[in-house]
Amino acid sequence: MIEITRRRIDVGAVVASVRREDAGAIVLFLGSVRADSGVAALDYEAYGPMAQKVFAELVDRARSKFHVLDMSIVHRVGRVPVGGDSVAIACSAAHRREAFDACAWTMDEVKRVVPIWKSEPPHPKRRSR
Amino acid sequence: MAAPASAAPMRFRVKLFATYRELVGAKDVVWTADPGTTLGEFLDAFLGHHPRLATHRGTMMLAVNQTFADPSQVLHEDDEVALLPPVSGGAR
Repeated sequence: MIEITRRRIDVGAVVASVRREDAGAIVLFLGSVRADSGVAALDYEAYGPMAQKVFAELVDRARSKFHVLDMSIVHRVGRVPVGGDSVAIACSAAHRREAFDACAWTMDEVKRVVPIWKSEPPHPKRRSR
Repeated sequence: MAAPASAAPMRFRVKLFATYRELVGAKDVVWTADPGTTLGEFLDAFLGHHPRLATHRGTMMLAVNQTFADPSQVLHEDDEVALLPPVSGGAR
């Protein structure tokens, strides 16, 4: 499963998409919007067609580099509130080490090469009354 | 690169994202150049028109038709060129 969505990420569906009988390990990584000072949400913007392509290339590379069985990446775009998930990566492998390594490597690559940008939304003006 | 005098200019689309879109004031621009123009030559001309964007050249990533591209790549009619700010998706 490779998806860029404006909706809330269905974490259960992401995990289910990589579950297989020959997998002894599934690792799930969630990136969430952290409540830094003054931050209520983050806006995510993607170059959609290219991001989809790069995600697919990363999955192919992770498969051959770490011998993972399956991998899913879902990235949310639009406004994500504090506590909301902006990205989910699920990875299944025969053993836990490959699954951990593949998940960590893929997330690092997502941060490095996938054309998705985040920004803080403008602060709403306070109404005086 | 000089184009043959008889060759018609080519047109391609330039896509801009995030801070670059704000600096240029548009998310999509149609650009006209001589046949044989490379991505690097186009970028020189484009940044000449948008000097505020020129300061970002050192960290800019380039793509043609949704694939990362080198400045030496020759552009073609109807290509989709993208100027990409450093990416920051995912978790912090």
